[in-house]
Amino acid sequence: MSPLGLLSKGEKAEVVEIRIQKGYCQGTGKNQACHAEDMGLRTGKVIEMLNNGGGGPILLKVDESRIAISRGMAMKIMVKKTGCRD
Amino acid sequence: MSSELSRGEETSPVQSSDSNDVAAGFSLRNERETITVAVAGNPNSGKSTLINAIAGTRLYVGNWPGVTVEKKSAVFEHEGRKIKLVDLPGTYSLSPYTQEEIIARDYLVREKPDVIINVVDATNIERNLYLTVQLLELGIPLVIALNIYDEAEQKGYKINTMAMEEMLGVKVVPTVATKKSGLNELLKVVTKVVDNPSRYTPKHLNYGEDIESAAVSVQGHIMKQNPSLNNKYPLRWLAFKLMEGDSHVMEEASLKIDDAFVEKATIHLKKAHGDDIESIMADERYALASGLTREVVKRPEVRKMEITEKIDRVVLNRFLGIPVFLAAMWIVFKFTFDLSQPFGDWIDGATAGPISRLAAKAITAVNGPLWVASLTTEGVIAGVGFVLAFVPVIFAMMFFITFLEGSGYMARAAFVMDRAMHSMGLHGKSFIPMLLGFGCNVPGIYATRTLENPRDKALTALLLPLMSCGARLPVYVVFIGAFFSAHAGTVLWSMYVMGIALAVLMGVIFKRTLFRGESPMFIMELPPYRMPSLKSLMIHTWEKGKHFLIKAGTYIFAVSILVWFLLNLPWGVENKKDSYLGKAGQVIAPALAPIGFGNWEAASSLVTGLIAKEIVVGSMAEIYAVQQEDEETTTVSDDLKEIGSSFLTAVRDSFRNVFATLGIASISAEEDEGASGLKTVIQKTFTPLTAYAFMAFVLLYMPCVVVAIAMKHEFGSWKWFGVAFAYQMGLAWVVAMIIYQGGRILGIG
Repeated sequence: MSPLGLLSKGEKAEVVEIRIQKGYCQGTGKNQACHAEDMGLRTGKVIEMLNNGGGGPILLKVDESRIAISRGMAMKIMVKKTGCRD
Repeated sequence: MSSELSRGEETSPVQSSDSNDVAAGFSLRNERETITVAVAGNPNSGKSTLINAIAGTRLYVGNWPGVTVEKKSAVFEHEGRKIKLVDLPGTYSLSPYTQEEIIARDYLVREKPDVIINVVDATNIERNLYLTVQLLELGIPLVIALNIYDEAEQKGYKINTMAMEEMLGVKVVPTVATKKSGLNELLKVVTKVVDNPSRYTPKHLNYGEDIESAAVSVQGHIMKQNPSLNNKYPLRWLAFKLMEGDSHVMEEASLKIDDAFVEKATIHLKKAHGDDIESIMADERYALASGLTREVVKRPEVRKMEITEKIDRVVLNRFLGIPVFLAAMWIVFKFTFDLSQPFGDWIDGATAGPISRLAAKAITAVNGPLWVASLTTEGVIAGVGFVLAFVPVIFAMMFFITFLEGSGYMARAAFVMDRAMHSMGLHGKSFIPMLLGFGCNVPGIYATRTLENPRDKALTALLLPLMSCGARLPVYVVFIGAFFSAHAGTVLWSMYVMGIALAVLMGVIFKRTLFRGESPMFIMELPPYRMPSLKSLMIHTWEKGKHFLIKAGTYIFAVSILVWFLLNLPWGVENKKDSYLGKAGQVIAPALAPIGFGNWEAASSLVTGLIAKEIVVGSMAEIYAVQQEDEETTTVSDDLKEIGSSFLTAVRDSFRNVFATLGIASISAEEDEGASGLKTVIQKTFTPLTAYAFMAFVLLYMPCVVVAIAMKHEFGSWKWFGVAFAYQMGLAWVVAMIIYQGGRILGIG
């Protein structure tokens, strides 16, 4: 198991745990974490890393959508590698 | 959230939210005259395009009451019946956490539309169905517009719409909104569903025995305790929300419930699945969406690399990303200014010359007093014309920005710039408004509405005025021309860099003071690249630009009249120094002495610059009584001809500019003809050192009135403008002081 932020481009992984505080998204301005799950980034989902260029945000393929998340958030999502896209 | 949220002024009288009971009485809707249709869907599902395609020019775009979230609606006739279309904000879910979701949910629950059109992206069914599942809970008849159907087919997806209809108990209509296909069929199905609501009641999807049995007992309890709520809210939905502990709904419905009962009803559920019922429900909904998708969609085994991915490889590349972005921005700026500047100049020239002369002639012709002529020409026409001169640039920029947004590139720009923005305590999304600020701060402020986080929005708006906008350029041009003509480029560049550097510095300070705590996290979808239609470009450009026209126009109009009076009162004042404005300048001047320009002329012109910074030069010219070129005697037809011919010149220049490869407006082109006289006067009253301090002061001191109005408009209060005003005044004074006093110590000037 490793943080999502450490996957390299092209790697696929299954989301194991989203370690963002429960209720983090409640209240003004903190809604992004909730969005993650509504956007399909949830436990059990196999995602693919599309772009992971150093310190900036990362880009994921979740189902058929491309979702960018900040690095801080990516480090709080734990994944299990499942393979590479050829 | 406040209950005013969805009290839209355009809601039909029978359904005003104050009379929910009445609305509930209309459950039998056979051949209703007006059909209310709510359109819901994920962001990027093509919902907007679908609505534009159906409603066309009948579309009314406004905001949801009390918030800056866009609300589109349209009323039109279809086969002899009135249809009212209401666009709900694009959401991924109906949870109570974001403004958009609350608006959408409140609307559906309170206004009870006759039918929901749920726009589902056929290329991304699973995630879209997650919202569908939640919409079905509301028990409102629903029709799925399976949009972007052509792309799904191209990708080789096989979608069994019949099975989908069967499983969800709703009608499914494949559509391609961009090509307007399937839309007639969609409307036909919508009217059919409205006429037979009982035949098209959405199915209750099975959430599993544990949830279902808990829901049944909670429903019974709600009924017993709150008999009046029957019909007002869908009972099953209410039970779900109660189990999830949704306080927003409990408050809204003023539910009387026995917590212990709900606790008891859900005890088995909690034992079996864990304490967090909200997550359990969300998982179940998602599982339903996943399961449905597996049943109805067949995907090809091999996935081709999509064009979006190919473009992203270059655009988001670690090394190429920023250069590509800079190139894109350069093109936008170039096109914006090259295209619009000749027209802006034309408006400027026409109002200052022929139109003023025509007005003066008209007033003289009816024997109007001299002061009315002066007020009309120097006050109203000069002031309003001045604002109008900005219209072309604003609209041109909004057009290109809309294009970048619509094509999908804007989200990439935010992605690429994220890292750089972190130093200011912001993230990539804030970069776009900042960038717009270089053209004019006003569209930048309005663009902060794309930032959903209030903290990011406020911080961005606070730093934005430090981006040196086009209105400050005339001031630089005059002063650089007078003192630094040998190093014009470098000095000008230093002004822009100073603005950026101070924005970073202030960002760091704000991050540690006013905006402590929250680290910027962001998540955003990068939509596939698509070619926006000209129609939707036009609609959105107009929507963005019109605020400027209306709000700024009215205020500037009033303020320019005020300034005219201030410069001409007490009545019959001979010397400008004795006018109210001159006196104000004398009062302020001592405060400016430590920073190098403590004379009333500079102070007065700075005061007028509060309205708009380029006015500083104009006022100086007036105050120093520089002889402008004399009014030649012209005839009315001369004036009209001048307007016409200068317009043609503007069109020609505009085209020429676009096609000239490196047509950045040169500095000398910005110079007014009358400015040379002013330069001579300035050279007498300023030194190079005080001139530089003055330029820095103009760059930094408070945002102009139009920005203030935009900030008020965007934030609903004067609070953030107050903060901006205070810190910028302080910053301007300190920086100018450092420049002046530092320079003196170093023996310059």
